[in-house]
Amino acid sequence: MSYFFDSKNTKQMPKGRVEGIAKVTGKAKYSAEYDIPDVAYGVMVGSTIASGRILKMQVEEAMKAPGVIDILSHENKPYVSGFSGMKEMPDNRFGLPVFYTDKVYYNDQPIAMVVAETIEDAMFAASLVKAEYEEAIPETDFAKKVKEVSLKETENDRGSVGAWENAPYKVDQEYTIAKEIHNPMEMHATIVQWKPNDKLVLYDKNQGVNRVQSVISSLFDIPTDNIHVISEFVGGGFGSGLRVWPHTIAAVMASQQVKRPVKVMLTRPQMFTMVGYRPESWQRVKLGADKDGQFMGIIHQARNNSSKIQGFSDGITRVTRKIYGFKNVKTEEAIVELNLPMPTWNRGPGDTTGCFGVESAIDELCHELKLDPVEVRLKNIAPYEMETGLPWSTNYLNECLEKGAELIGWKNRNPVPGSLKEGDYKVGYGVAVGMWGSGRSYTGASIDMQKDGVITVRTAMTDIGTGTGTGMQNVAHTVTGIPKSMIKIELGNSDFPKAPSQGGSRGMASVSSAVYAASLALKRKVAGYAWPDKDANSLNIDDISLSDKGVTYKDNFVPYADIFSKNNLNDIKVEEFAGPGEERKKYGFCSSAAHFYKVKVHEKTGKIKVDRMVIVVDAGRIINPKAAANQVIGAGAGGIGMGLMEEQLVDFKTGRLIGNDLAGYHFAVNADVPLIEVSFIGKPDPNINPSGAKGLGEVGIIGAAPAIANAVFNATGKRVRDLPITVERFFNA
Amino acid sequence: MKPFEYTKPKTVREALSSVTKHSHYIAGGTNLVDLMKKQIDEPDKLLDITNTLPDQIEVKDNGVVIGAMVRNTAIAVNKAILESWPLLSKAILKGASPQIRNMASAGGNLLQRTRCPYFYDLTLPCNKRKNGSGCGALKGNNRMGAIIGYSDACVAVHPSDMCVALAALDAKVNIRKADGSEETMNFLDFHRLPGNNPEKDNNLPENALITSIFVPKNNFSKHFEYLKLRDRESYAFALVSVAAALDMDGNQISEARLASGGVAHKPWRWTKAEAFLKGKQATAENFAEAARIAAEDTAPLSTNAFKVPLLKGAIETALHTCLTNKA
Repeated sequence: MSYFFDSKNTKQMPKGRVEGIAKVTGKAKYSAEYDIPDVAYGVMVGSTIASGRILKMQVEEAMKAPGVIDILSHENKPYVSGFSGMKEMPDNRFGLPVFYTDKVYYNDQPIAMVVAETIEDAMFAASLVKAEYEEAIPETDFAKKVKEVSLKETENDRGSVGAWENAPYKVDQEYTIAKEIHNPMEMHATIVQWKPNDKLVLYDKNQGVNRVQSVISSLFDIPTDNIHVISEFVGGGFGSGLRVWPHTIAAVMASQQVKRPVKVMLTRPQMFTMVGYRPESWQRVKLGADKDGQFMGIIHQARNNSSKIQGFSDGITRVTRKIYGFKNVKTEEAIVELNLPMPTWNRGPGDTTGCFGVESAIDELCHELKLDPVEVRLKNIAPYEMETGLPWSTNYLNECLEKGAELIGWKNRNPVPGSLKEGDYKVGYGVAVGMWGSGRSYTGASIDMQKDGVITVRTAMTDIGTGTGTGMQNVAHTVTGIPKSMIKIELGNSDFPKAPSQGGSRGMASVSSAVYAASLALKRKVAGYAWPDKDANSLNIDDISLSDKGVTYKDNFVPYADIFSKNNLNDIKVEEFAGPGEERKKYGFCSSAAHFYKVKVHEKTGKIKVDRMVIVVDAGRIINPKAAANQVIGAGAGGIGMGLMEEQLVDFKTGRLIGNDLAGYHFAVNADVPLIEVSFIGKPDPNINPSGAKGLGEVGIIGAAPAIANAVFNATGKRVRDLPITVERFFNA
Repeated sequence: MKPFEYTKPKTVREALSSVTKHSHYIAGGTNLVDLMKKQIDEPDKLLDITNTLPDQIEVKDNGVVIGAMVRNTAIAVNKAILESWPLLSKAILKGASPQIRNMASAGGNLLQRTRCPYFYDLTLPCNKRKNGSGCGALKGNNRMGAIIGYSDACVAVHPSDMCVALAALDAKVNIRKADGSEETMNFLDFHRLPGNNPEKDNNLPENALITSIFVPKNNFSKHFEYLKLRDRESYAFALVSVAAALDMDGNQISEARLASGGVAHKPWRWTKAEAFLKGKQATAENFAEAARIAAEDTAPLSTNAFKVPLLKGAIETALHTCLTNKA
């Protein structure tokens, strides 16, 4: 279960990620890879219509197929207290009440699960399951319906629209973004094993084991403590693992029904319909400024698509109220319900979308004003947190802009579009910024020291590839003094101290504090054993340090061996929790980024190449520069996808997704991505938490797509207001 | 996947005699296995022909014979191909991924099926998959669809890059028929247009095997280009691709070849544009005119009008690149 597969080899720890060797040697176990005796295989069956009702399931032929154990559907399912007697759908907080409805809300909605002896048997039998439907005409075209839905005030307005009616410079434009699928490398999977006395073990791919625990607990009416969730390795999430999706619930139901462990792994096409996506969106941005580029006011309206099961608002206008010091802000939002799968949070949710509108509009305004877009942004950065009036704890967006401009060579940019050329390519530079509220959540961590001084640091938090475990090791090493080679990390397990889901850039900002607190507690506890005559709590904690051999207090040293033997101990354990406090009432917290990109656009074919990407990030103290840069690089590559190619197409007649696999849905590959030049401001935030680290998972993508679009405009004079900038959108602009 | 039987014949003769109504030959399997997994194709029996067909590249006086079992990668890196038919190598390397090219056979490349999304989704209508069910793409999302040579029954395009180069290079396909007799077909006659029978991709006789591909000697090894325009730079099918080759006499074009992928049910030769270029000077104006001539015969569908300007830009750019490309 440990990251370190050879416990005797602790002196030769990898220098990169703590889990790196396990991952590259294939020893890391992902959820679907656990070998559970007597496991049966479940395969989800999706609907073949997008709207209507199931009249009858046709499972006779499938039941006769080799190896089939049972087929679950709304006609054959176990009792689930959370679903039974449920009222109307929209009130249901669990999303789709899988197998507890005969209604069909979108195409490929899970309507059955085949459970069989082998994965092959289950897949083949799943192909034989049919349903008889009463079909209704689905609503699937966002563009067609978007304007029919009335906007609602977000109730966060400032000032008035009238105050800037006569602004000398205005931009008023509409922007759209296509649906984007998360597509983490690892496909979602769950193995469920019921144990005696209503105990349940789930090996599940997700971004928060405690969340899975609580959802399953309330749905199935089982005490939380009876549910053990293990997610030790997670192959990417991007937000798709923040919810508990129907396949996980169905796996629990199936295991209950067939009284055997059941394993379910989604297929790649099912990853497009069953675990969410970034919704399609429309925005209107109206922006006013004086002749010097001082912003006077903004109206930001946005709509995003949702399913017909559960409203999902992406929060697109939130970022508008945050980045700049607008005195007059009006924001309105609405949800467009369609017969499409359920959308959810996708990296930088809401803000990434909102920033495309706002950062594009600012670029348009700067062009009108003939002012430099870097200067205009610097002039308008929010002087304090506008929504609360609180001073920023730290906000170095200005430094991000200044540094980025220098690194890309902004002075080489010609403000007149279409003036620079390299061979057959037109060349342009673009800038955009991103911001994300720096959150922190109540998080636990424990440390367990063995006789040889080796410690194991544990938390329930997952590591979805972000380097959480490595960051934990860095913090524990820094605070205790114990060498990294003697620090093991275990995480992603609900038996460990509780932690929030890993989303919203909160992971490191939260867990670093818990590990910090546990490290201090360990120092004090070890010192207490070493010098029982002294009051451990009165010792200056900075004078206590741990090493590979023992504990030192000022000039005194006691080896671990003595401590353990004298006190007759087998191990020394501490557990601490840490969370936000009074500082949240005193300061506003944010992470930010400036994106400076250079693009090349082929004159004849419209081929767009991102030639350089400079991303400068303010995320407070950087705990692990490698892992942090890795986060920003990944986000930047995601930004190229969003800017140039990611687009989930829909067949409007049937609501089926078009090209729903890795060949048909295009995200950026290495050949599309230049060397991404990442830098950090690196100044610790003194108030957010003891480590001074602010989150950085989101800001690397917030602002990326508009920086590309703005660079394309600078290169060609073509303003593309619809993402992704595929060749047809470029030609039509 | 439907359960199936698998055998591995040792000779072509044995393969031809083992074939049944519901059997399929399999070589690299890079497309067939996908089709089986998606239950678009459900053979009862697979005849693995990897041991039966030639896997050598033989240079002859009049051209090169590429055995049907030569892997795509092996063609692309072959010294003789790189020297005398570099367009073929370049086209292959723009296709698929290294892993797929390592598995895919030369013969199989010709027989891969369309990637039209309506063909791949069993719940959607598709005349190619089930004739009579209708063409979902015709009035649906046909962004990837044809702009020439299509019918109301089918707007799918042929996915291969290698075949576009073979079409441009006047290749021939050598075939062994079920009765053991041999036939040679012009490459341009091998694939067919959909008409009312889109379920048939090509004119390969039933149960016949492609044994090799012949590419004649030519003077196109100095001035060539394979330009593939797609949504991303690797592992994506062409929106439009252009194979261009020029035989130059000074600045005068003695012979021109222009073919495209991503535009039709088969690799498409722009013969009118080729005829126009023959004898002309290699100028920007003439290249633009050739592109215009090619594009004037196209008729885009509801959501792929962009392919026409894209095609023109691609032809012009590819022809320009021919002048500077170094083999």
